Amino acid sequence: MQGAQAARSQATPLLEVRGCTMEFPGVKALDNVSFTLMPGECHALVGENGAGKSTLSKCIIGENRMTAGELYIDGQSVKLQGYSIRESQERKIAIVHQEFQLMADMSGLENIFVGHYQTRGGFINWKKLEKHARKLLDFLQCDVDLSVPVKNLRTAEQQIIQLTKALLNEPKVLILDELTAVLQEKDIQNIFRIIGILKERGIGVIYISHRLDEVFSCCDSYTVLCDGRHVGSGRVCDIDKAQLIKMIIGRELTNVYPPINENLGEVVLELQHLTAPKAFTDISLTVRAGEVVGLAGLLGAGKTELVNAIFGNHKIVSGKVLLHGQEVHIHSPRQAIRMGMGIVPDERRRLGLNMLFDIKDNTTLPNLDQFRRLGIFQDLEAEARAAFDVNEKMNLKYYSLWQTVKKLSGGNQQKVVIAKWMLRDCDIFLLDEPTRGIDIGAKFEIYTLIHQLAEAGKAVILVSPEMEELIGLCNRIYILFEGKLMDHVEGERKTQEVIINSLLGVNEHE
Amino acid sequence: MSEYKLKSKRYGGGFRAFFFDWMILILFVALVIICCVSNAQFRTMNNIMNVLRQASFISIIAMGEFFVILTGQMDMSITSTIGMTSIFFAGFVVNNGMPMGIALVLVLLMSAVVGLINGVLTVYGKMPSFIATLVVMNVLKGLYYIYSRGLPISGLPSSFNYLGAGYVFNIVPFPVVMMLVIAVILWAMTKYTAVGRAFYAVGGNAEASRLSGINTRFVGILAFVLCGVLSSVGALGLTARSLSGNVSIGEELLFDVMTIVVLGGTSLTGGRGKIFGVVIGALFLQVISNYMVLMSINTYWQWVVKGIILVAVVLIDSNTKKD
Repeated sequence: MQGAQAARSQATPLLEVRGCTMEFPGVKALDNVSFTLMPGECHALVGENGAGKSTLSKCIIGENRMTAGELYIDGQSVKLQGYSIRESQERKIAIVHQEFQLMADMSGLENIFVGHYQTRGGFINWKKLEKHARKLLDFLQCDVDLSVPVKNLRTAEQQIIQLTKALLNEPKVLILDELTAVLQEKDIQNIFRIIGILKERGIGVIYISHRLDEVFSCCDSYTVLCDGRHVGSGRVCDIDKAQLIKMIIGRELTNVYPPINENLGEVVLELQHLTAPKAFTDISLTVRAGEVVGLAGLLGAGKTELVNAIFGNHKIVSGKVLLHGQEVHIHSPRQAIRMGMGIVPDERRRLGLNMLFDIKDNTTLPNLDQFRRLGIFQDLEAEARAAFDVNEKMNLKYYSLWQTVKKLSGGNQQKVVIAKWMLRDCDIFLLDEPTRGIDIGAKFEIYTLIHQLAEAGKAVILVSPEMEELIGLCNRIYILFEGKLMDHVEGERKTQEVIINSLLGVNEHE
Repeated sequence: MSEYKLKSKRYGGGFRAFFFDWMILILFVALVIICCVSNAQFRTMNNIMNVLRQASFISIIAMGEFFVILTGQMDMSITSTIGMTSIFFAGFVVNNGMPMGIALVLVLLMSAVVGLINGVLTVYGKMPSFIATLVVMNVLKGLYYIYSRGLPISGLPSSFNYLGAGYVFNIVPFPVVMMLVIAVILWAMTKYTAVGRAFYAVGGNAEASRLSGINTRFVGILAFVLCGVLSSVGALGLTARSLSGNVSIGEELLFDVMTIVVLGGTSLTGGRGKIFGVVIGALFLQVISNYMVLMSINTYWQWVVKGIILVAVVLIDSNTKKD
C-alpha cells in the first residue's frame, strides 16, 4: 500500500476504492475494481455501456452496497455495513445525474433548495435563499434566471441549476454522470470552465462521459472499465485517443468511419420552402438515393422538428414535399410509413421502443401487414423468423427473441429501432441522433449500418450533434440556425470550421 | 437454422416466472380446493353451475373493461351502459312491442355509440378518461331515469329467459357457453391479429406506436366501443335472468369489474394483461362471494372482504418487479 501510494502523491486521496466487487444475482457487475481520486483532480471514468461505470458511482454514493471491497473517504475507512446515500452526503459526496432530476414547473431557486429550505418562524426566507443561490452562481461565474420555471430554461441552463443544487452541500467529491450527453459544444465548454473552477477549490471531480474528446480536454487522469473489470488507470497526458479506445473496447479501431458511398441515384426526397411556425422557415433540400445527408444545428435549431415534419409528425404551414418528383401531402406517420419512410427518433426509450414488448414484437410493430394470413390473422412463426433474420443481420446481441428490450444496452436497443425499418425495406431513413447515449463500440456498428443503407441505395437523413460524425458519414451537410438554412456544405467545404461558423449563425458570405 | 431454433426458443424463466404470470390461477385452484373441502354445499353440481353462470355475466363485462385498461385508460360508465341496456331493451319490447331481435341489435348499437362518445372525448377531446366516462355515466343515468321514471319495466317474454338461465345439453348454463365463446374470440384477436397487438402497443407506449404507424386514435376509440358493447351483452344476460328492465342492475358492478380486471393480472398503467386472466379473475371473485353467501356472511362484510382483496392485489402488483 505504502509504496504505490507514496510515489503518486503525498496528499491523502479524497476517495479511494479498493477491490470493489459488486454482484447482482447471477451477474458480476464489478470485479475487483480499484479507484483513487485526489483533491483538485478531474478523473475520467470511461468504458462502454454496461462496463460498470454507473454501478461504481452508485457504490461510491451508497446507492448500491458493494459485495466486497473497501472504501476510504479522506483517508478514513468507511464501514460498508449501513453505508447509505445519506452518509455519503454527510461525507460531502455529491452526484449530478445525466437525466434531469428537476421539477419542471418549479423555478430554479425552488429547485436548488428543495428539501433544504431555511425557514424563519415557519416561513421560507426566500430573500436569503436567493442570496445564497446567487453566491453559488457567482462562484461558478454563471448567470441563470432563477425566477422562471426550469422547463422554460435551455438544457444547458438546467444543467447549471443541477450543478448548483449539487454544490449546495459544499461537496469535496463531485460525480458528473454524463452531464454533457445532451449538451451542445458551446455549453460543454462552459462546463469545462466550471470544472476548472471546482478543481481550483480542491474539489475532486469524477467525470463520466461517452465523448472521449472531452476526456482529453478537461480531465487529468482516467480509469477504464471493461465488462466490470478494471482495465487501467493513468494520467491523460500519457495517452492518446487511439490507445484509450483500444483499452475501452479491447481492440484496435483502424478505420473509424466507413467510406462514403459515391454511387448516387435519382433524387428521392425533395423539400421546397418548407415552413412550420416556431420551428423552421423556408427549408429546401434534396436527398438522392444512396446518399447520406446531414443536418447540423444547435439545440433549438429545428432539426428534430424538420425530420418530424417530413415524417408527418409536425404540422407544416407552407412549402412542398416531393417524393420521387411527385408532390405528396403527409399528415401522419402512418402515411409516411406507407410511402416508404422510416424514423429513428431522438429519444429511443420514449419514442423508439415499447419497453414492455419483446424484441420480436418491437421489430415487427410497423410491419404487421407483411405477415397476414387470410386477411386478418398474423403468422407468428413468419414474424419471428423475419425478426430473427433482420436482427442477426444487425449483429444484435441477444439470447432470445422473446426477451424484453428493456434490458438491452443502449446500442442494442437502437439496433432494434433500426431493425424495425430494415424489415420494412424503407426507401428513406430519417435518423435523429441515432448514436445518442450509446457506447463507442456500438457507435461504430451504427456507422457501418448507415453505410450499408447508403450502399443499398437508401436515402438517409442524419441528424447529429457531433460534427465529426456528420463529416465522417455524410455526402452533404445542411446547417440550420434558428430554424433557417444557413449553409450547405459538401466536398472541400465540409470542415469543422465552416460548419461551426454557420452553426453559430455567422455567415461567411457577408 | 439451429441458431434460429436457439433464439426463438421460449425461455419460461422456470417456476418463478410461471408463478408470477399465473399466480391468480394457482390461487384460484387453491381457493376452490379449500371451498370444496370445507363446505359440502359448495361442492354440489347445482352450486358450481350457479357460480359459473354468475361469473359469466360479469366476466363478459370485465373483458370489455380489460381492453380500456389495456390501452391505459379507464371506463367508469359501464354501470350506466348496463342500466341503459336493461331499461331500453325492456322498454322497446314491452312498451313499443318491438321484436326482441331488433331491440337487441338496437341496444347493442346504442352501447357502441356510448363507447364511441367515451372514446372521442378521450382520444380527440384529450380529456382524462376518468372524467370523460364519469360525465357520460351520469348523463346516461339521467337519460334512462327520465325514460323509465326510475321504475322497472317487467313483462319480457319468457323465451328470453334462455339467454340468462337456459342450459346447453341440459347441463351447461347458456351464459357460460356464451362467455367462453366470447373469451376465445377475444383471445384469438389479442394474439393473432394486428389490431389485438395494437391494444398492447398503445398501452405500452402510445407515442412510439404512433411513430410505428399504428392508428392509435382508432385503437383508443375501439377499446371504448368494445367495452360498451360487451357491457351491454353482459347486461342483456342479467336482464334475461330477471325478465325485467331495471335501472339499478349495474350499479354495484363497477367495483367488482375493476377488481376482476386487476385480479386477472392486467396492469393499471396499460400494456400488460391477458383475456383468460380476466375470466379466472371473475371466477375467483365469484367463488369468494358465493362462499361467503353460503357461510351466511352478510353483504356489508362482503364489501369489506372484496375491498381488502382489491387492495392486496394492487399492492402485490405494484410492488413486485416484473421481468
